[in-house]
Amino acid sequence: MDKLRTLLLVLCLVAGIAQASELRVAIGVQDPAQLAMSGNVIPPNMPGTELISVNDDLAREICRRIRARCTVSFVPFNEVLPGVEDGRFDLGFGNLLRTPERDKRFAFSSPIWRSSSRLLSTPATAEAFATRLGQPVSLENLRDARVATLEGSLQLAFLNAIASQRGLTVVTRKTAQEVLETLRDNTADFGLMSVLSAYALLNRDTTRQIEFVGSAVADRGLGGTVHIALPRQNDALRLSVDQAIAAIRADGSYQRIARRHFPLGLD
Amino acid sequence: MVTPEFRERYRARTAFVILATTFALLFSIVVALLAMDQHRVLEASQRLQQDTIPQIIRFQRLARNLEQIRQEGERVFSATTPEGRQQSLFLIMLVASHPSILEHPQSAEAAREAERFLIETGSVASRDASKIALRHAEWQNFSKRLSLLVDDLSVQGASLANDDLNDMVAAMRLARAKLVGALILVGGFLLLLILLLNQHLIRPLQRIDQALSSLRVDQPPPEFPDARMAEIHAVEQATRRLHDSLAANEAARRELELLANRDGLTGLINRRHFMMIADAELRYTQDQGKPAVIALGDLDYFKRLNDTYGHAAGDTVLRAFALLLEESFRQSDLVCRYGGEEFAFLFPDSTLEQARALAERFRQRVADHDIRLADGLLIRVTLSIGLADASKSPIENALHDADFALYEAKRLGRNRVIVATETV
Repeated sequence: MDKLRTLLLVLCLVAGIAQASELRVAIGVQDPAQLAMSGNVIPPNMPGTELISVNDDLAREICRRIRARCTVSFVPFNEVLPGVEDGRFDLGFGNLLRTPERDKRFAFSSPIWRSSSRLLSTPATAEAFATRLGQPVSLENLRDARVATLEGSLQLAFLNAIASQRGLTVVTRKTAQEVLETLRDNTADFGLMSVLSAYALLNRDTTRQIEFVGSAVADRGLGGTVHIALPRQNDALRLSVDQAIAAIRADGSYQRIARRHFPLGLD
Repeated sequence: MVTPEFRERYRARTAFVILATTFALLFSIVVALLAMDQHRVLEASQRLQQDTIPQIIRFQRLARNLEQIRQEGERVFSATTPEGRQQSLFLIMLVASHPSILEHPQSAEAAREAERFLIETGSVASRDASKIALRHAEWQNFSKRLSLLVDDLSVQGASLANDDLNDMVAAMRLARAKLVGALILVGGFLLLLILLLNQHLIRPLQRIDQALSSLRVDQPPPEFPDARMAEIHAVEQATRRLHDSLAANEAARRELELLANRDGLTGLINRRHFMMIADAELRYTQDQGKPAVIALGDLDYFKRLNDTYGHAAGDTVLRAFALLLEESFRQSDLVCRYGGEEFAFLFPDSTLEQARALAERFRQRVADHDIRLADGLLIRVTLSIGLADASKSPIENALHDADFALYEAKRLGRNRVIVATETV
């Protein structure tokens, strides 16, 4: 009798495991050091963890809602989208903006929050350029400068488009932290980054070597709604992810996750 | 004035099809008008759900972000350490960069100016912390501007919802007015329908029913007011025709009855009819306690007359005799051709003596009367009569007695009146 009960229990467990699907989640990291931490929780005192953690918590909450098991991989930003495209990942997180070009290659979830871009530099560089330009530096008047940004980002696409006209030299890096390093070691004059990403990295930087320059920009492909990237062919997954997002927004889980990591509402 | 014969009439089916179509048309118009209002309410609620509420949420987030800038601005002034001040400044920069603020020009400008002022304040403070208090009064202007914006956005969100709700309320009020109108319209139409039904269908049918119930041949044909419905008019006409037909049947029946009760040759009532009415008359007279007499008369030598002059002459004699009978007796006296040349009489309310005198007078009149035959020849006939008292006996007995008396009259030489009691 006991053997039969055990057998039934095992069968039930096996059936339960077989029913639960597995989702491979890619989250773009902020710092190269975080690349080695796949599958583990990023230590909270590392630079830029807020953005990774909020993505991580959101991914796990979505997986829980759609009864899937999440396997999280931390990858450089420029590997998130190719990974989703070639089927290595089912969900891609990385403060991803939606564009018509990206729509052709990926499916996108409903918006998770909104993002904008802003220039960054050291106060000395900003002042030097302001003196040269005769006015405070902004994205509108920036010219003849070295500008660093993330590989594979829309900021890079924007800079490439105006580089020759403005005499800009574009410097690319794999992570946001490396972009900021270019400003510190004077490899670049300015950085063009997602405000949220930069804030997460600079919030606890007591040296205050780097500051925001000019106004934030949300147009010209540099801002807007942020989404989770999904494979185009899996529409059922997109629908269930959208349902999960709607559910976690409706019951306040989303707001709690955002507030756990950022002192403001992200949407 | 149009005479009823040429008056235009409507077929009931056509009239009701027209009425039903009109009603359906009116009802469809009302439904369409209500559907328009319903559509308007649906549109307004969809707008509220799809546009206004998301817009209100956007306004709320924007207001929340502006309020956060204002609060962090206050912290810049109240911070006790440069790090705390820097942290607030950095958060202000983050919030001011949020797309919700960037896409709202008024908020973007207010946030940018507040951010710039606070960054300058941060620079001033990093050089000389004591000077920060001097800038607080100016900050109050920025703070107040942000507060006003927050209030404006809250009111703006509520106004957006109010606009949609007002639109819905207006549509619902209009729909309610239309519903009341529709109710009056439907009620009025039903009332009109009932009136028309009553006037053109129910009352004519009641009149026809009444006319049919009291349809009698001895009454004049039923009269109907002119009906507008062709079918009703047709039934009324049929009712009148039925009355005419009944009257014609009654006339035919009377004619047949007359033929059945009368003797074809003399026009006198026949024996069967005599027996029927004489019996009734006798009973009545007896009930009244009055006297009555029954008589039987027979033309003398009638067979010989037939043999001599032919049957045509016999018929002429019978007809002439019948005329004499009708001229000679009272209307209350009943006379019939009892058979061949034999005739029966009932003298109600007459004593035997009175009847005898009457019979005698008539016998004499017959005997004196010249009858002209077809060929111009004049002849005379005589009559033998037997009388019997019928005051107390049934008609059959009285007839039997009268017959016996007649036999006696014949036996005693004919052309005489014999009373039955005399022979008994």
